[in-house]
Formats: sequence, C-alpha cells, structure tokens
Amino acid sequence: MRKTFVVAMREYQAAVRTKTFIITLVLMPVMMGGGVGMQILLHDKVDTKDKHIAVVDLTGQLYESLSSAATERNEKGIFVEEEGVKKQVQPRYLVEQTTPTSDDRDELLLDLSEQVRNEEIFGFVIIEPDAIVNSDPNPMRQAMSYYSNSPTYDEVLRWIDDPINEAIQIRRMKTANLDAEVVTKATQKHRMANLGLVEKDEAGIITKAQQTNELANIIVPLGMMMLMFMTIMIGAQPLVHSVLEEKMQRISEVLLGSVPPFQLMMGKLLGMVGVSMTIGTIYLAGSAVAIYYAGYGEMFPSHIVVWFLVFQALAVLMFGSLFIAVGSAVSDLKEAQNVMTPMTLVMVAPMFVWINIVKEPTSTFAVVLSLIPPVTPMLMTIRQAVPPGVPNWQPLLGVVLMLITTFICVFIAGRIFRIGILMQGKAPSFREAMSWIAHG
Amino acid sequence: MNIVEIDHVTKTFGTHRAVDDLSLSVPEGSIYGFIGPNGSGKSTTLRMIMRIYYPDVGSGNILVLGKNVRGAANDLIGYLPEERGLYKKMKVRDALRFYAEIQGMRDYKSSIIDWLERMELSAWADKKIETLSKGMAQKIQFISAVIAKPKLVILDEPFSGLDPVNMDVLRAAVLNLRREGSTIIFSTHDMSVAEKMCDYIFMIFKGKKVLDGTLDVIKDEYGQDTILAALPDYKGSLSDLGGVEKVTDLGHMQELRITPNTNSQAILTQLMKRGRITHFELSRPSLHDIFVRIAGPEAQLSQQPSALEEVHHA
Repeated sequence: MRKTFVVAMREYQAAVRTKTFIITLVLMPVMMGGGVGMQILLHDKVDTKDKHIAVVDLTGQLYESLSSAATERNEKGIFVEEEGVKKQVQPRYLVEQTTPTSDDRDELLLDLSEQVRNEEIFGFVIIEPDAIVNSDPNPMRQAMSYYSNSPTYDEVLRWIDDPINEAIQIRRMKTANLDAEVVTKATQKHRMANLGLVEKDEAGIITKAQQTNELANIIVPLGMMMLMFMTIMIGAQPLVHSVLEEKMQRISEVLLGSVPPFQLMMGKLLGMVGVSMTIGTIYLAGSAVAIYYAGYGEMFPSHIVVWFLVFQALAVLMFGSLFIAVGSAVSDLKEAQNVMTPMTLVMVAPMFVWINIVKEPTSTFAVVLSLIPPVTPMLMTIRQAVPPGVPNWQPLLGVVLMLITTFICVFIAGRIFRIGILMQGKAPSFREAMSWIAHG
Repeated sequence: MNIVEIDHVTKTFGTHRAVDDLSLSVPEGSIYGFIGPNGSGKSTTLRMIMRIYYPDVGSGNILVLGKNVRGAANDLIGYLPEERGLYKKMKVRDALRFYAEIQGMRDYKSSIIDWLERMELSAWADKKIETLSKGMAQKIQFISAVIAKPKLVILDEPFSGLDPVNMDVLRAAVLNLRREGSTIIFSTHDMSVAEKMCDYIFMIFKGKKVLDGTLDVIKDEYGQDTILAALPDYKGSLSDLGGVEKVTDLGHMQELRITPNTNSQAILTQLMKRGRITHFELSRPSLHDIFVRIAGPEAQLSQQPSALEEVHHA
C-alpha cells in the first residue's frame, strides 16, 4: 500500500510540476472560452456592404410597402449605439423594382440569375400575381420566392418575409372591409413565459417559480459535460505515454524489482486520478467564482459537484487502466494510437447525443443511455445539470455500474500490464492478449 | 549457505533456447562474475534470478534467498538492468528518494548524501537526470539499486562505458558492499575486471554453462601452457616455432600457446636464436584467452565440420 502511494505521489508530481501542466491549465479555458470570445470580438466584423435586391412584383401592389419598409430599416434598424456613437452593424438592403421585359418566366429568371452571378445584385424576389388573392387553396403554396447565390446567408430571407406579408394582410383586410387596427388588436399574440416548478421551502412558504433561461439550461450542462471530458482526457491519456516510456527505457524493470505490478499500476492510476481531480476542482471552483461574480450565482450547479468528482475519478480509473494496458502491450506510439482510436471514440460518443439528452433529460432513451458505464460520467452529468435534475437513485445506480465496470477494467489491465510491461518487440495479437487476461 | 540456487533451468523464447539446462549455486557473501559473448544468455539468467522472467514450465526452479516465490518485487534484492532506465525529468535527489522509498526505506536522507559523496556526485544532487553524462547516470542508477542495502545485488554490465576513474569508484563501491555483507552477482565483458574482482566466474555460451568455479580452478584446468615473450628487435613471425600451437600478437609482446608436453625451456632456446629477449614469462592462460578459446573464431572453426555435416544431412 505504501509503495502504491509512493508511486502515485511521483506520478502526480511528475505531471503537475511540468510547464505543460501549467500551460494546459491556463490554455484550456482560454481555448474553450476562446470560441465564445472570438464570436464576441468578431461580432462587429460583419460585412456591411450594401445588398441590392431586385423585386419582381407581379401583383403590382406590394413593392411600395416593401420599399418603404426597407428604407425604414436602412435608416433605423441596422445600427447600434456604442458610447453615443452610432455604428452600422448590418448591411443596407436596397430593393429595386424590376419590370419583366418578356413574358417568358424562364428567360426572366435566367436574366436575373446572371445579374446575381455578375454581382450586380445580391438576390431577387418574385412575387406571384395572385399572392394577395391567394386563389390556390393549398396552404403550402409558395407565392413568393427568393433567389440568391448565398444559400447560407439567410438574413435577407428572414427579413423580407414580414414586410411583404404585412402589406398583403392589409390589402386583404381592406378587401374584406375589415378595420386593420381592430384586427391587429384582436389577433395580437402573447408570449408564453418559460418557468420551472414551485416548491415549498422549509418554512412552509411556497417559493416563486424561477424564470427558465433556455440558454443557460443548455450551456451549463454542456459546459459540465465538456469539463468532464477534458478532465478525463487529461487524467487518462498521458498514461499510455508514461507506461510506454517506462517500458521502452526499462524503468519498469527496475520498478518491478521493488513494487509488485498491480501496485505499480494502481500507483500510476491513482496519481493521475489526483491530477485529474486537481484540474477538475480548479475549474469547478474557478467557474463557480466567475459565475457568482457575473451575478448568475444561482446558475452554478453546486448540487452535482460531488457527483461530478465521483464520476470523474471512476472514469479516470476506468479509461486510465485501459490506456495503461495499451501502453504496456505495445512497443511504439504508432501501435498505441491504432488501439486507442476505438477507445477514444467511446469517450467522445456522448458528444453526438448530448443535445437530445439536454432537451429531454428524463426520456427513457436518456435514462438508459446515461446508465451505460463508459458514457455514464458525461451523460449523467448533463442530465443532472438540467433543472430540476434527476432522482438520486439514478446517479447512484450509475456509480454502482461504473464501479463494477471499473473493477473489471482494472483487473484486465492488471493482467495485461504484468506481462506486457516486460515484453519487448512485437505487440501481442488479440488472441495473445486474451490469453494473458485469461491465464494471468 | 547459497543465496541463489539454480537447478536445471531452461528458458526458451519462441524457438530460441536462451538458457539450456543450467545449474548454478551462488554462495552468500561472494562476488560472482557472469561472462560470455553477447546473446549467450547472461541477462536472461540474471532476469530469471530477479524473477522478471520465469524458467520454462517443467524445467527446474530457482531458489533466491532460500525461497521460490512468484513476483520480482523484493526489497532484499537490488537490481541494475542492462539498459539503463531513469526518469529523465527528475532531479537526482528526488529520483534517489523515490527509489529508496519504493524499496521500503524510511530513513534515507543521510544515505543519499553519503552515496552521492562517495560517487563524487554531490554537486549534481539538484540537477535533472537528463543533464547528466552517461557515466554519471550510470552511477546514479547503481546507487538506486543498492541504496536500500540489499542482501543480494544483481548488476547487469555495471562497468560498461565507464572511464577508468569512474570504474575505480564503482569497483570500490562494489567491494565495499561485499564487505558490508551483500552478495554480488554481475555480468561483464571486461575479463580483467572479472579476473581481479570475482571470487567465482561463471561463463555461459549459447545458453550452456561452460565454466564455473574459482579463477584458480578454472585456470588450473588449462595448465601452464602460455608463454609471454618480448623480442623487440625481431620483426618476423614466431608461428613456425616447434611446439607452439598458437601465436597471439599483443603488440609489444607475443603470447605463445604451447602444445601439451612441450618443454618451455626448448621454446626459450629457440627464441634466443631469433633475437634479443627482454621478457619471458611462463604463465597460465588469462581469462581473456580462455574466453576466446571457448567462444572465439578458433572454437567456431572446430565446430564447423559438424555444421557442414548437418548441411549434408539436410
């Protein structure tokens, strides 16, 4: 036991005392926050070049409204005030009426398309002649079309819809002899408030329901999952390298002269669990402080911190032991990478489903998936971080299942490590590795 | 009492038989030298004593300190492997502290200072191992193997690559360990080191034991069949002398191996006719010579007919 501890301490210090560790510690949040920071930084760096949009108004009645709506937007809607300075952050939309020169629709479309390709205009809109009357009973019918060569730039499309529809509605109401003002009032919609549930506190007072912040309810779970992923990677992955290095430099031969292989492996594992926990704690504490100072203290999921650390430790043990097994069985980094690829895929698997889990954390799909040991740490954390969290039996069952899996992984790794660490040369075949596990 | 008892042990790797039916006893308190050409099975034997490797199932077993246990970990044995392995990024003092601790030592501070001083490395205590020269690192690794005062010290090529000064330092340390009661087994390619330091010499060749015993016993087997002669003015060959089996030109001296029952005085008479003699010494063969006789090209040559026969049979 003491020797395990000595090995763990060395492993911990060797990892923590390096410059790389400090750099990782600082850089990781910078890199992760960097994405957000960059967006904020580059927020104003949008293209504000005028966008010319040709409008073919075959109703002959809607262009005026659209044009004045565009003028209003260009004068008021595209600026932000920063310290008293008006700053344009969006391009002007300059609509221009185009009268078709021929009746041939295809000719017209081709002609306008060519203008877009020649960058004379940005895009064009065709409003069908019956757009106001709407003679076609099919509700899916599209009586207006927007053509452009920038399918991903949807700002124009999103803007231009409303003014035209408004103009159409006004005209329809007029035809039906309805007072537009009355109709607008009558059809005004309300916004639905998105709230959590109320509960009774210890004093028997019913608490006020919290306004749900949709963004926070996604960002916090996502952040917790990313933090879990990072800390697992930082803890488990270096073990491949370190074991491989000890093996190739025959350090392990000396160590095994004093420490039984299982104790040596556990020492290395526990050392890295320590490293991972150190980083996890620093980041959790750091983000708690940051969130608190930003005034969103209640958003920090403090109730899951202990679970988080438990899952994190188990995950590092589980993945770390497998990485140790890989490092001890192979004889160079390239071989190691081949074996590690499927393992890394399992580690990142939760990234593919996280959005479904966040949206419906209590669905059967989410519950079952979060109880599958390799993905439990990340998915359970996500589910716990979405209010109101999950019943305690679920993370508890998750921990139990993780414990069992971790135990099996460590056992298998121990067998492979004991033999592999002293083998030089070719890596064992899958069958050989299996026989090591079976017979020790 | 014997510290190590190897009893009819065989070790094969795949189809290669690295050690073949080997038996050996290492008495307590002795210095036992393992010699043999590269790849003859020295390191494999040492690793089996360390229990890093196990003998083939069904072959004999190895008793170390009277026991036959599984697992290499044993605080009573210190081990210096052939390929040196140290954590490069660790400081010298931290590395030694680590090795002392994993060997179960609690009070190691003064031992570390003491050993660093003895190995003339005190100035390097707080330097990283990657900054040390090869010889220095080797001495550090030696300290890490013996700091816990093990009863049995196994050193695989401890002297290879050392300059004469460091070699003397290390030799003194090994002799001192023996004085303090440790048993030492080491392998070496340096015959003069083996000859000077070892109580017993064990030679392994192609996995088989070919020599085992004290230097005297080994040399007596070969008798006084060697003459060292110096004829500074004579430039010709001496291989045509009657009764001389082999001449080895050592530079300033010629080593003559005489055929059995040849009178050394007759050789001297012949030599006097060739020129002025400044040195004439009748001796037993050196360990070096014995080594070469067993494993050198001459020995290979005498084995060749059988090899040819095998080809014919095939």
